[in-house]
Amino acid sequence: MKYFIILITVIFIFCGCTPKVVKLEQPGATGKEGPAFEKGEKEGGVTEEELARSRRERERLMLEEMKKSLLKDIHFDFDSYTIQADELPRLKEMGSWLKNDKDIRITIEGHCDERGSIEYNLVLGQKRAETVKDHLVKLGVDKKRIKTISYGKELLLDPGHTEEAWAKNRRAHFKVD
Amino acid sequence: MRKLKWIIILIFLTCITTNTEARIYLDIYGKTFKKITIGVPSFKSETIDRLRADMSELLNKDLDMSGFFIVAPGSLLDRELSDEGIEKQEIKFGNWRSIGIELLCKGKFQQKDGEIMLEAYLYDTIDGSLMLAKRYRAKSEEWRKIVHRLADDIVLTVTGEKGIMSSRIVFVAGGRSQKEIYTADLDGHNTKRLTNFRSITVLPSVSPNGKYLAYTSYKEGKPNLFIMDLEKNREIHIERGEGMKFGTTWIGKATLGFSHTSGRYSSIYTFDIEKSDKRLILSKEGIYTSPSFSPDGTKMVFVSDIYGTPQIFMQDLPSGNIKRLTYYGNYNTSPCFSPKGDLIAFVSSIEGSFEICVMNADGSNQRVLTNGGINDSPQFSPCGRYIIYSSKRGGRYNIYIMLYNGEGKRMLKFVEGDEEQPKFIP
Repeated sequence: MKYFIILITVIFIFCGCTPKVVKLEQPGATGKEGPAFEKGEKEGGVTEEELARSRRERERLMLEEMKKSLLKDIHFDFDSYTIQADELPRLKEMGSWLKNDKDIRITIEGHCDERGSIEYNLVLGQKRAETVKDHLVKLGVDKKRIKTISYGKELLLDPGHTEEAWAKNRRAHFKVD
Repeated sequence: MRKLKWIIILIFLTCITTNTEARIYLDIYGKTFKKITIGVPSFKSETIDRLRADMSELLNKDLDMSGFFIVAPGSLLDRELSDEGIEKQEIKFGNWRSIGIELLCKGKFQQKDGEIMLEAYLYDTIDGSLMLAKRYRAKSEEWRKIVHRLADDIVLTVTGEKGIMSSRIVFVAGGRSQKEIYTADLDGHNTKRLTNFRSITVLPSVSPNGKYLAYTSYKEGKPNLFIMDLEKNREIHIERGEGMKFGTTWIGKATLGFSHTSGRYSSIYTFDIEKSDKRLILSKEGIYTSPSFSPDGTKMVFVSDIYGTPQIFMQDLPSGNIKRLTYYGNYNTSPCFSPKGDLIAFVSSIEGSFEICVMNADGSNQRVLTNGGINDSPQFSPCGRYIIYSSKRGGRYNIYIMLYNGEGKRMLKFVEGDEEQPKFIP
């Protein structure tokens, strides 16, 4: 039974209920078993407002989760703006997410590593951002929802001078507007 | 009889031409040249003045930086030499010759009512001939200016073309995500910050008539191209289209050449500021950027990746024909025409580093001028004998200047932090 309570609590937390709400129910839950939990929920008097808040919170967490897993940087080879094959599944996933959630608008930033000339890198960054945008548009995302901007080599993620740092810097970075 | 007359005229003419040629001591456009040893003893003045040493020291520094001189160290000059007068009849040229000095610059100055007046003479120690005699005047606090002018005149006398020590430059300085535009004298003094946007502002260049400054700034969120009227200190034109826009090349007095990359296409435009006339020069799929125009305005070099890697191309503007200029390596960018139109400076990736190179305007005779690091943004001085550029070695960008053949490299320092993208102010 103990496990059951824990399980329910976990489910609650997972669903994005605020800890405050859970706390309210605790006295009821300590009674005996599951139904008391539901009862507690009713007794706790969850208002519409609270429900809306918890929904918003859930959405926020989901978005953050999406951002973490989906909106990770897309990396490029030196002096290249073609998308590497292993990045394609992630872009596909991102595309379907963007298609589902029509309110989201994103900006794609194109970045380069410290090598090469400033002028060429500013253009290369633009091309990187545009290529990723093109790909998402091809997957069915409305192109009006995607903005592009290039920072060339002006905003290095890693200021190092190693192969590893350079690879980290050659990226298309996503921002939710 | 008539024939004889012509012959005499001809001989006369050749005498004149050889005479004028003989006046130029250094042919700096030859492959190599021998540097001239010059001595600059402390200037004289009626009062004991710190400036005596300061001025001659600065002149020595300027002459050394010009790359055409070996400056005789002060330790070489004994009391007899340094106490000697400045007039021709007071100078024992044999003494100077004996320590290897070929040219001798002497001067005296006086300060009166907040003004400084410098009288300078340049002698050839071989025959004691006077090569230059000139008087300079400035406000006392601007004594550096007259020394620079004297240095430029000495270079003019010896090489036939004026030196660059009086020049000002524009450049970018600052750290990550905050870069501003500055101007400064070439000697590192008189630094002024032109922008205070607290944003990324890059690629400044000043129009040949000195009136307009073009730059690209992220101050409105995305990289827009601005043209500022320097006299009125106000932005007079802004390119706000989507994508990347920048321009650092000028044609005529006030026409900016700039590139715009957005979507699949890249375009190169010219924009005549005074007539507000924008013209499309080229528009194609892929990357077409970094235009630079020949001084006569008939040719344009640019960078494109149509063959997979960035390479330099030249377009003949009247005919529209495009020719590829670089074939070596897989990264050739940032082309810049020399003011005479005979050379193109550019950046090339060679064994992992990015080097400043020059080639003839037809792409032949490419040679590497730097050695290691990430070198960028080469630009010729208005006289064409120097190349100013930025260089990153380790973590920091600094501004360097060298002769167009790669000799005499030296770092110029203006403010704290990274300094890059230098351009001469015409």
